[in-house]
Formats: sequence, structure tokens, C-alpha cells
Amino acid sequence: MTLLLRAIVASSDAHVGADLGLSAVSGAAVAALASPWEKARVAGEPELLDHHRTIQSVFERVPCLPARFGSVFADEAALHSRLALREVDFASQLARLGHRCELAITCAWRDKGVTSPVSIVPASSGRAYLERGLQRTRSDREREIRAEAIVARLLSELATEQGSVRHRTCPRPAVAVSMSVLVTRDEIDGIGSRLERLGEQLPDVTIVVQGPWAPYTFAVGE
Amino acid sequence: MTREPATLDVPLVELVDRLLNRGVVLTGELTISVAGVDLIYLGLSVVLSSVDTIRRAGAEV
Repeated sequence: MTLLLRAIVASSDAHVGADLGLSAVSGAAVAALASPWEKARVAGEPELLDHHRTIQSVFERVPCLPARFGSVFADEAALHSRLALREVDFASQLARLGHRCELAITCAWRDKGVTSPVSIVPASSGRAYLERGLQRTRSDREREIRAEAIVARLLSELATEQGSVRHRTCPRPAVAVSMSVLVTRDEIDGIGSRLERLGEQLPDVTIVVQGPWAPYTFAVGE
Repeated sequence: MTREPATLDVPLVELVDRLLNRGVVLTGELTISVAGVDLIYLGLSVVLSSVDTIRRAGAEV
């Protein structure tokens, strides 16, 4: 049976996932938690969401670095040898992030028009085609400018340290801003209230807040 | 925070984005595929195409 990596924890917390069916592969400072995984198994959406549930179960108990979904190891020895290469980095990240968690803040455009798929109706002429393209470019630029203004409002409202926020503007047609904020659990209620008030002042977007999650965005991949 | 019809998919897509694109990486001997596409090449657009399926599975999340 192969192993699917779920999360990295301090070696002193290695046994935290025993009742979740997680194997612990320990180094000197950190341990990798992994689940049995049939080599031929095909992953789909349920497996993705199960990965999240497993990580959250660990994170509710101890600080952890969530693993990006998809890494499988032949056995514990293979996982251990890979872990040894990154152990110092992982220990440093665990110390840096501590008990903090991630809030996902998404500002979705209320105007359904901006989420409409690009028209597939052929343009009646070359000029019409170019004008349509120009109009789309202008519209995209206006949305980008508006999204940047929303980011400024969010950052002002959150008043958090710069290294604790990551954001993207217009990552998808329906979304103006996708933001991740690293917070302590004590801060969550206050942030929620402030965003509630801010949402009332931003008529063109709906603010969706999710979390607290394990710090996916702040656990550095490579 | 309110959830309107136009934004129902947003929370799920945001989560899937993090599961596939963020978090620590410890390269294994195999990389799992999702929707038949190797994760190395998997972009969010592939997941978006099956977001209805994800939503059903995600009802318990």
C-alpha cells in the first residue's frame, strides 16, 4: 500500500492523527502524516475534499503545514528520505506560522453580466469583430481597476501586517478579488464584523469569508 | 456575508484552488491525476468544468 501525504507537523505531534488512520513518518524535528493509498486508485473531487477534511481534523488539534494534494510515496522509507531533504525548512515554517490559520476572503461580482461567457456568435464583419474585442478589453481593464480599489479597501479594513495577506485580482470571470489572510483565532470574529460593514459599502460585490482553514496559502510549496 | 446564486460556486472553487495549487510540496514517486489530468498540468479550469460534481461531494464540508 502506498502513502498519500496529508500534512507536516512537529515531531512531538507525530501521533496526533493515529485515530484518523494516518501514518506518521518522523524526522528529528518534524513528522509527515500520510494515509494509505491504493496505487491504482483514481482521484476525483471526493478525494480532494477528503484531503481537506483530513487536514482540517489535524489542524483542529495541532499546528500543521497542509500538503498540496497529490504526492504519493511507495512506502514509509521513501517518504522519510524525501522528508529529510526539507526538514529544516518545514520546521522553520511551522515555527513561523504557529497556531495561526487562514481566512479566505472572496469578493464576487454581483453583476451577472460580467460572468457571461464570451459570445460565440460570429461578428457580422471584421470591424464588428474588432470593436467587440476592444469593448471586452476596456471592460476587463475597468474591472481590474475596480478590483484594485476593492483590495485597497480590504487592506485598510483588515489593518494587518503585509506579510499576512496574499491576494489576486480578477482570477476568474466571476471573482473580483481572491484574498488569503493569516490570522489568530481570536481575530476571526472582529474581522468578520469589519468585513460585514465593508460589504454594505461595496454594492458591486458580494463578500464571502471561509475558514478558519489550515494555512494553505502561507505554507510555502517549494 | 450573504450568498447569492451567482456566487454559490465561489466558496468551493476557492477551496479547490488551495488544495491543488497551495500547501507544502514533498514530491512523491507518483502524482495523482484528477479528472484524468495529471496534477502537474492540472489548472483550475479543469476542476471548474466539474464543479457541479464537486458541489455535491462538498455538501458535507
